[in-house]
Amino acid sequence: MTGEPKPALLSLGGVGKLYGGVVALRDVDFEVREGDVLALCGDNGAGKSTLVKIISGAEAPSSGELRLKGERVSFASPHDALMKGVATIYQDLALAPRLSIWENVFMGAELRRGGPLKLLDKRRMAAEARRYLERLSVRIDDMNRPVEGLSGGQRQAVAISRALLWNADVIVMDEPTAALGVKETAQVLDLIHRLKAEGKTIVLISHSMADVVSVATRVVILKAGGKVADRPIEGLTPNDLRQMIMNDPVLA
Amino acid sequence: MKTIIGTYGTAIAGAAIIIFFVLFAPRFASGPNIVNVLKDTSFLAILALGFTLALIVSELDLSIAEVSSLSAVICGALVHGGTSPAVAVAVALLVGVAAGAFNGVGVTRLRIPSLIMTLGTAAIAKGLGFMITQGVGFVGRWPSSFTGLSRGDLGGVPYLVIWMAIAGAAAYLLVNWTRTGAHMVATGEAVEAARLAGVATARMKLLGLTLSGGLGGVTAVLLAANLSSAAPNMVGDYFLYAIAAVLLGMTMFKPGHANVLGTLYAALVLKVLGNGLVLMGAPYYWQDMILGLIIIASVAFSASVLKKVAFTV
Ligand SMILES: Nc1ncnc2c1ncn2[C@@H]1O[C@H](COP(=O)(O)OP(=O)(O)OP(=O)(O)O)[C@@H](O)[C@H]1O
Ligand SMILES: [Mg+2]
Repeated sequence: MTGEPKPALLSLGGVGKLYGGVVALRDVDFEVREGDVLALCGDNGAGKSTLVKIISGAEAPSSGELRLKGERVSFASPHDALMKGVATIYQDLALAPRLSIWENVFMGAELRRGGPLKLLDKRRMAAEARRYLERLSVRIDDMNRPVEGLSGGQRQAVAISRALLWNADVIVMDEPTAALGVKETAQVLDLIHRLKAEGKTIVLISHSMADVVSVATRVVILKAGGKVADRPIEGLTPNDLRQMIMNDPVLA
Repeated sequence: MKTIIGTYGTAIAGAAIIIFFVLFAPRFASGPNIVNVLKDTSFLAILALGFTLALIVSELDLSIAEVSSLSAVICGALVHGGTSPAVAVAVALLVGVAAGAFNGVGVTRLRIPSLIMTLGTAAIAKGLGFMITQGVGFVGRWPSSFTGLSRGDLGGVPYLVIWMAIAGAAAYLLVNWTRTGAHMVATGEAVEAARLAGVATARMKLLGLTLSGGLGGVTAVLLAANLSSAAPNMVGDYFLYAIAAVLLGMTMFKPGHANVLGTLYAALVLKVLGNGLVLMGAPYYWQDMILGLIIIASVAFSASVLKKVAFTV
């Protein structure tokens, strides 16, 4: 490794989360640097979703602090986090199935024309939605199609377009390939590669070690709420990762 | 072809119904009867627009007719007692808005399902209406500055039709062309997705229900002015019609979605149907039975076009 280390875009210091008596996270330190594709791995119940909820603004930590570009922040809601630069793409994608592609991409951020009535600029929203999708190499002929008719990969692209639209610093993806077939998984990995090529910073939860090895630059492994590994992905095979998740962190 | 039937099938069927009565119902196509049907359609359409706006944010407003009746009774009481019509109208509209906001607060703050909340409001409004009138209505020779709101015409177009057009255009613009409308639609379609995108979903639900109450107030004023009377439950006859209009409207133009154009067109079709049946000598009780069938068939049609549940609140 050469050159200056890039500054941490997002960092957690000593973050803990209690649910009643259950310790979901304990004293987790964690940094996401610009351009990282950071994979968050761990067995069921390890605390991945809890960590994502904290960085996406859905839950407040019980202890510890969050920093964005060095500044201490707290997120009041997922929307607050989005406004501050952390966009989360939820497992269920949080799309409105019966609404069109452009309506979904621009939900909450509708473009309007000038003039006293400030009417919606539907034409521009459709054109820009198309541009965002093309940026992800997804071509769909009709932007008026309801998203429920799209493939899993295309839907993921619509959700990602929304994060691009908000110009998020960090894009968080919770199991983007879960419940997808082989072809669609490849499509989504391709989307992530494209975001990576654009220099986007991504936090990715995945149970698929093959996916992690294919797209991630770093891996953080959680076990019973604590961090047990945090290192570059280079030189690791899916099998190594599996070992690290199950056994003591010999490789960490 | 399939999408054409899905999108316009019932609209075409509606047109066929209108043509049928024009051709076969005695005196249907006469000038005075057409004006009558259009006036009656106006009351129904404005009331049904309220139900539409509530349904767009995915809430049912079962209180529309009783709230509207209460509003009419209060308006009538004031006009009857000599209050200036402008004040009476303002109070009547306020009553509708307040009742709608009451529903909205119950649904968003107290988390009461709208089905229950609006049913409760309907009962309260009904009781208040009877309390104010002591069971009898207000009838009188009311000032023409009041009754003129809903009688007379502009170059042959009845004022009522103009009011309907204004209400329809405003609702259409709101829902389809404004950011607030887009937020209402997003709230109704996927409340969680909308919330995550920063849409003020509770405020949108409150708005939808408040506008529904407000349009009940508008209907009340126009009906009281037109009839020069106000009685408890005077809007009751429009209740089933309004629900049928909205659900039938959901089968056309934008299948499965409550939509303004569908509601307006369906209101006209239903009133033509009601009037035509009467002119052809059908007993009055057929209307309720037909409305019931239309309500059920509309939702079934939407479900078959959408291949899934057509209606959730
Ligand atoms: N709302 C909650 N209330 C109580 N306990 C919770 C809550 N959410 C999570 N937990 C607990 O916290 C721990 C971590 O859960 P979390 O969902 O973060 O795990 P995960 O790594 O995402 O697991 P999975 O791979 O199954 O999604 C688990 O023991 C879980 O039972
Ligand atoms: Mg999880």
